[in-house]
Amino acid sequence: MMRQMLAFLSGSAGCIVFALAIIVWLHVFLMAEEHVPIFICLVTVVGLGVAANMLKVTDAVRTSLAEHERLWNLCALAVPLALIWLFREDHYNLFLIGAIMVYAVAVLGLNVQLGYAGVINFSCASFFGIGAYTSTMLMTGAGLPPLAALLLGGVMAALVGCILIFPVLRTSGHYAALVTMAFALLFKVFMDVNDFFGGPQGITVPPMTLFGIDFSHNMLFGDTELSFYLRYDLLCLLLLGLAFCFVRRLERSWIGLSMDAVRSDDTASACFGINISRWKITAFVVGNCLSGLAGALYAMMQAYISPANFTFSDSLLFLSILLLGGIGNMWGVILATVFVVLIPEKFQVIQEFRYLIYSGLVLLMIIFSPKGLLPRQPRSYS
Amino acid sequence: MEMELLLQFCINGLMLGMMYALVAVGFTLFFGVLDVIVFSHGDTVMIGSFSGLSMYWWVNAYYPAMPAAGTAFLVVLAAVSVVVLLGMGVADAVIVPLRKAPALNTLLATMMLGTVLRESIRLFFPDGSNPHPFPGLLPDWSWRSSQLTLRFDNLALFCSGALIIALVHFIINRTRLGLAIRAVAQDEEAAKLMGVNFRLVVLATFAMGAGVAAFAGVMNGIYYNEITFGVGLLLGAIGFSAAVIGGLGNVFGAILGGFIFAFLQTIGAVAMPFAAAYKDVFAFGVVIALLAWRPTGLIAEPASKRV
Amino acid sequence: MKPLLCCANLTMRFGGLTALDSLDLDVLEGEILGLVGPNGSGKTTFFNVVTGIYRPDSGNVTFDGEDITGLAAQEIYYRGIARTFQRSRLCLDLSVFDNIMIGNHKALHLGFWHNIFKRREFKAEYELFREQATQLLCALNPELADRILKPVGDLSMIDRRRVEICRALISRPRLLFLDEPSAGMTPDETRQLMDEIVALDTDGQAFSLVLIEHEMEVIRRITSRCVVLNFGRKLCEGAYETVTADSQVQEAYLGRELEE
Repeated sequence: MMRQMLAFLSGSAGCIVFALAIIVWLHVFLMAEEHVPIFICLVTVVGLGVAANMLKVTDAVRTSLAEHERLWNLCALAVPLALIWLFREDHYNLFLIGAIMVYAVAVLGLNVQLGYAGVINFSCASFFGIGAYTSTMLMTGAGLPPLAALLLGGVMAALVGCILIFPVLRTSGHYAALVTMAFALLFKVFMDVNDFFGGPQGITVPPMTLFGIDFSHNMLFGDTELSFYLRYDLLCLLLLGLAFCFVRRLERSWIGLSMDAVRSDDTASACFGINISRWKITAFVVGNCLSGLAGALYAMMQAYISPANFTFSDSLLFLSILLLGGIGNMWGVILATVFVVLIPEKFQVIQEFRYLIYSGLVLLMIIFSPKGLLPRQPRSYS
Repeated sequence: MEMELLLQFCINGLMLGMMYALVAVGFTLFFGVLDVIVFSHGDTVMIGSFSGLSMYWWVNAYYPAMPAAGTAFLVVLAAVSVVVLLGMGVADAVIVPLRKAPALNTLLATMMLGTVLRESIRLFFPDGSNPHPFPGLLPDWSWRSSQLTLRFDNLALFCSGALIIALVHFIINRTRLGLAIRAVAQDEEAAKLMGVNFRLVVLATFAMGAGVAAFAGVMNGIYYNEITFGVGLLLGAIGFSAAVIGGLGNVFGAILGGFIFAFLQTIGAVAMPFAAAYKDVFAFGVVIALLAWRPTGLIAEPASKRV
Repeated sequence: MKPLLCCANLTMRFGGLTALDSLDLDVLEGEILGLVGPNGSGKTTFFNVVTGIYRPDSGNVTFDGEDITGLAAQEIYYRGIARTFQRSRLCLDLSVFDNIMIGNHKALHLGFWHNIFKRREFKAEYELFREQATQLLCALNPELADRILKPVGDLSMIDRRRVEICRALISRPRLLFLDEPSAGMTPDETRQLMDEIVALDTDGQAFSLVLIEHEMEVIRRITSRCVVLNFGRKLCEGAYETVTADSQVQEAYLGRELEE
């Protein structure tokens, strides 16, 4: 009985069952407003996760993932689409879904840096912020069209990364950690004291417009009024999809392999002709570009940014998402982003205690299960 | 008059520098012994301030007649004992279990620990989210000219800070315990084989680092007359920077780094063409540049690579 | 036979320690050279200096007529010198194939466009290298070929050594350095691995091999010439029998072992 079930789940059916389960669970979780149902939801998912691990269901799912990858990709696309449609009139939940996707893009960028090339970066949120501020200033100050501003936000983050990478390359270990940490602190203080960028009060961000459609208005579909966040969510999904494909292709290529070599052993890498600086720079620039793009889109979606969005603690948050999900595992990154973004939002009562609970949990996680929720699997090149 | 203003900045810079040096000594001690960066060290300093403040409140409530010297002694004692216990607990529960983990994990874990400490104070200390006035503790004698104020408490703090660093240096270089610490720092396995009690050495090191941090916490409170829960993050970052620009694992490097950082902040606040608020931007910018110039700190540790 | 690698007057100091002391050493085209000597006699330092990890304090290294002294490790690899490490330096969480491909770096197309957008061409390249890696693994241990996508961390010590040798061989080097390939293995395993290496040498393209080894039996069986180092100097060189008969060598290194 059990064996049949596992065989069933390791086939293509496993993927569909899994995707449906996620849609249902996320729908229920996002709809839940009282604490008891929210709590039940969480207990259920933790229980299911533990049970799945004990009954070897996770192995079955892993097999299914390896063998029916195309189907999994489609399902991964279907899950957010289904959720966006289910919440089409709900501003708040649509915003949360969008935020999850944008954060996931930034963490994917961090994953390229830290997970592949092993370049330490404690200033991910600063590059997220550079993207956000650049695109905002380009729109309000230079009057650039939002799409161009969005892309230039990513470019700007990459360029600033190009400068910061030099001290990072010269140093190693804790010294490199300090370089990025100092940059994160410097960025926050700079934004706080600088009037040009709005100072500590922050600035409002103009909305996205694409093909003449202003993203800040609700739209009518038949006789239902769809939330304006729906368009943003679709754009976020597009960005996440592109980022995901890009990072995965990068991982499954000689570039990803070279980055892995640089991370695991720089002496051996040097003895086999691998140009260590080249791959560290590539990873750092690519990762920061992704963070910058994500930040620019986040700014437009939130319509308002301030230095408080881009602190050192936020950088730590991005890093923790990566560590929770499992360094190097892109599915893990997305899964962890879902939890990290949603749980504090849903528990308004513990809102006050969220940093405490959250940092305590990550601390325990690092001590007892350092590989994260979904450890990285050996590379396949398909 | 210009001269006196300059002197005043020097005095303030020296005070800050001593405080940073005390924090940085902890960073460098822990790094030397266990090769870890304990980022929560800044928050340990903050806990020191709050423990001292609690003791002050308690004394004031129950023994209002206590002489000033007694109060000051009790405040320091409370800060040191709480923080030493905390430091040893942290070593045992977090640092030693993570000894074999990748450096990033340890760093991140101690950052999370710092957040836990900070948030605990914010949530559970009475009115913890607001700044609290910190008592002066020392007599407020001062010598004043038109521009220059030389306060007795500053002088006393500076001297005791120097004394504490000298004490740490003495313990490390002249006692059996220090010998054991240096042995573990050089080669953990060999030290264990030679009968050094590894756990004891780690606990002692953390107790020592934490004790110094507690004093820095009290000093911080007296200097600013106010403490907040959030001060630990910046102090941690500054202490770490100071230890790193001096060169990790080197006590003199940490002291040098502490004074350099305070110097940079002072320069950034008064001698630069931009507003004083940019002083931290300036200081951290120079830290990055310094590391680009001397990647392993000013007093460089000998680089060795075994292949 | 003309020398492939010429080292003249190589000196390498670490602080007060002289690890290589005016060492002259030649490696001939196609030979198997055994490098022996007590611990700390400078054998691994010699490898590190030639492969560009350390920069010698003085002296010259000439490879195939070109001066390669002080070049970066990367450049030296591109000229055709590959090596293994005393303490295995594989990437344990990467697969066997990945580890071998790290050694194939000079054949890989590293362009961004090729890797990210031209996936069809990339796949063709991948299939080709996969085939090459499989062949190489089969020559050492056919079972390894089936585990080509498993992480190296799951393999036994001898299989890891095999993967490391494949990693060094995949780029078809003209000179191969093996740094104590038998370390951490049983005598039987060592014998097996050495037979495999010798077999490789005879049926593949000709390359020179320098072997650091403490097992004198291994040295006797497979090397055509030996060089004995002591305190960073060359004590003696020649065939195994000549070298072991040398009184200086016996004194410095073999000592009582031969008396038994």
